[in-house]
This record gives sequence, structure tokens and C-alpha cells, in this order.
Amino acid sequence: MIPRYQKVVFVVLLVVSIAMAVILVRLRERAHDRLLKGEDLAPTVAPAVAPEVQATLMVANDTDGTLLSEAHSLPLPKDAEARARALLEKLLEIYAGAGAMHAVPGTPRAVLQVFLLPEPGNAEGKGRTGGQAGGQLAVVNLAGAFADGHPAGILTESLTVESICGTLHANLPQVAEVRFLVDGQARATLAGHADLTRTYLTEEIADAATGLPAAP
Amino acid sequence: MIFFPQFTRVRACGVLLMAGLVGLVGLGLCSVGAQTPAIQSVPSGLTRPVGSRFVVVLDAAHGGDDGGGQMGGSVAEKTVTLGLSVRLRSLLNARGFSVVTTREGNVNLDSDARAQIANHATFGAGAGACVSLHASQAGTGVHIFVSSLAPTQQGRFLAWKTAQSAYVARSLKLAGTINSAFEHSSAGGDGGDANAGPIPATLGRASLPGVDSMTCPAVAIEVAPLRGADRKVTTEVTDAQYQTQVVEALAAAMLEWKTDSETESHTGARLP
Repeated sequence: MIPRYQKVVFVVLLVVSIAMAVILVRLRERAHDRLLKGEDLAPTVAPAVAPEVQATLMVANDTDGTLLSEAHSLPLPKDAEARARALLEKLLEIYAGAGAMHAVPGTPRAVLQVFLLPEPGNAEGKGRTGGQAGGQLAVVNLAGAFADGHPAGILTESLTVESICGTLHANLPQVAEVRFLVDGQARATLAGHADLTRTYLTEEIADAATGLPAAP
Repeated sequence: MIFFPQFTRVRACGVLLMAGLVGLVGLGLCSVGAQTPAIQSVPSGLTRPVGSRFVVVLDAAHGGDDGGGQMGGSVAEKTVTLGLSVRLRSLLNARGFSVVTTREGNVNLDSDARAQIANHATFGAGAGACVSLHASQAGTGVHIFVSSLAPTQQGRFLAWKTAQSAYVARSLKLAGTINSAFEHSSAGGDGGDANAGPIPATLGRASLPGVDSMTCPAVAIEVAPLRGADRKVTTEVTDAQYQTQVVEALAAAMLEWKTDSETESHTGARLP
């Protein structure tokens, strides 16, 4: 005959064991969810804790076809490639905003990557542009959804391309040349007009931003 | 006379081989011709004007599978550019110009074929102008673009993709003449608002695959809607009266450009 107190202890231990098992499973599920959530957020945005620095964005204006220099205080990562991407994301965010002077529909992660490479032919310290030593080529990889949704037209497409080049040059002066990819592939035009197969020279764009040479 | 039967056999084989090669080359040429329907479908584009000294090439952008952008409601850019090209061609023909169009219908035509037609048409002419017509919903008025290539001296050979670089200086002059014509235009038209003022025009530089290969003074004209002070559209690109005003201004510019070119040629100035 089992004593009564032993039966009570057994039941209590059994209930505690089951409760602990349930809690363990729930905790495991929560940890799994937290990990997945962390993966989604990690690389897409500049960390808000980064110190804010002064950045110059070359913002396009469709009305007169010009680029306007705007100073913004932004939290930017230290890494040059991540910084370039954060700057371009901010620029395209302005274009997607209501009442933008250069309206381009917004797309999440419109700039997939920016790669900074040594400028071709820079072995002797000077690139094709004959510019400063240590010049870099920036390869901007745009999202296909951004290019597909971009309004068609020579003016609007050229301004988007030029404002990207101008913004890179204004904040990373070592960037002398810019090339474009869309979803990692070469593409003939942005939306039917602006040539994406050529290499854009940032100094030429900076000069052009000051105005077209007067017709003789 | 000594007879060599072996030599005769070799010669017969050689003749047969040559005949076969000629046949193959002939077949190849036929197939290449069949693969370029765009050029074949534009008979007027390839007929070089004989004896004329001034040729205007009108290139209606897009066409065929390439619709370009969407204007206003559901009108494709290719339709608007073709309409502008047809209207401008009629006006210029009436004023005695030799006009070559890259397309007269809804056909596929790549940028190389457009430049090829323009270069063939202007090759024998003493002077001319190449005008690529576009339309857009962005911006306002008319945007005049010149190739963004850096100007270079004209050499014996020109690289295909940058051939326009030797003509950029003349293209900038042409853009100035067109800009001036728009400054003297009226957006209101004969039956419209007399106080409407001129059609606003913007000058710019752009890299355009077709224009960059043209060996003539070349500009791209992009027609955008007219907008009010609040940036709302007041006149759509598809508006017939607006299109008439645009082509009239362009025709006036071509007349001015032709006069300038003739004056330069009479005074002995070098033409491209």
C-alpha cells in the first residue's frame, strides 16, 4: 500500500514536469521568432545609433531640368559602400515623397548594392578621366522593380542617373566614374531612354549641373 | 600542245568550288536582307535625295513592340512621336525641304538602324539636321537635348557609338536655333489664349544611343505637357493644337537653320 503523501508528491512532480515542458517549448518558439525578425531588419537600413553627419544630395528638378544641392544631416555608416547605398536610398526616398519636384515611384530597397572599385586604367595613379590619384569606379546595382516603375522620358531618366552620379561625387569625391546594373545584369536603358551601358564621368556631370554651355 | 588530264580535273573542281562559294555568299546576303525588315519597311528612309543640298531627317522614337512611355490616358509615346513626325514632315515638305523619315508606320527599329538611315540620308547633302522626336509626361514644355559626348575634331574614321562627337558643336548651334524658335512661339495658338506666352523650352545634354551615332547636327526633342504655376497639367501632350504649335516652331527653326547654313556656305565657312 502506497502512502497518501507519496501519491500527492508524485502528482505534484508530474504536473510541474508537464508545465516546465510547455514553458520550454514556448520559449524556444519565441527565440526562433526573434532570430528571424532580426535577420529581416539587419542589413537594410543605416543604424539609427550612428552619429549624424552632414551629407550633400544632388536633387533633381523636372521643371527646369536642373540638379539642386541640398544639405541633409543623416546617420551614415562608416563603411564607404554602405554609406553610398544609404545616401542613394535617401535620395530616392525624396523622389518617392509627395510633392517631389522629380517624382519617381518608391520601391523598397531600390538600390541593392553599391560597389567601389579602383578606376580602370588607374595603375599609374591616374584614371581615364585624368583626375586625382586613387579614383574609384562606383557600380550601382539598382532593383529591377525600381527601373521597371521609373517614368519614361529623356529628361526624367537622365536626371535620375545624373543625380545619383552627382550625389556619389559630392559625398565620395574619389568616385570618378559610375556604372549601372539592374538586378545584377547590364541593361540598355533605365526606362527606354537614358543609356545605362556607358560609364558616366562624375566630373562631367558636376560641370553640366552648372548649366549647358551657351549655344554660339 | 601537251594535255594534262589531272590538271583539268583540278581546275574543274576549283571552278565548282568557286561557284559553290558564290552561291553561299548570295544566299547569305539574301538571308541578311530578310532579317532586316525594319529597313526594308521604310522605303522613303533609304532614298537619298538627289541634288538637294539641305536634308532634314525626322526620327519618330520607339515603334513596333517598343511603345515608349504612356501619355495622359492610354496613348503610347510611339503614337505621339509618329504623329509629330508626320505633321512636321508635311509642313517641311510644303516649305520645299527634302525630308527623310526613319519610320512611317508602327515598325520595330533599333537605334543603330535609325542612325544608319540618318547617316545615309545626310551623306550626300551639303547640310542638314537630324531631329529625334520623343514625348514624356515628366517636366513641362519642350526639352531640347544634345549629345553629352565631348566635342572632337572630325577625322577620316569615326567610331560608331561616338560618331556624333565630331558634330556636337554644330548640334549645340542647332539646339540654340530651335530654342530661339520656341521663345518666339505661342502656346495659345491662333484660336487659343493670346496671353498664353511662348512654349517653355529647356536645353540639356543626354546620352542617347541613336543620336550618339548620327553624323549630322542632331538634337532630340522631347515634348512634355504644359503645366500651370501649381505644376498641374493644363495642356496634354496629345492635344492636337499644342502639337501643331510645337511642329510649327520646329519648322520655323529648320527654316532659320537652313538660312544660316546657306549663309555660312556662301561665305566659305566649313560645314560638317
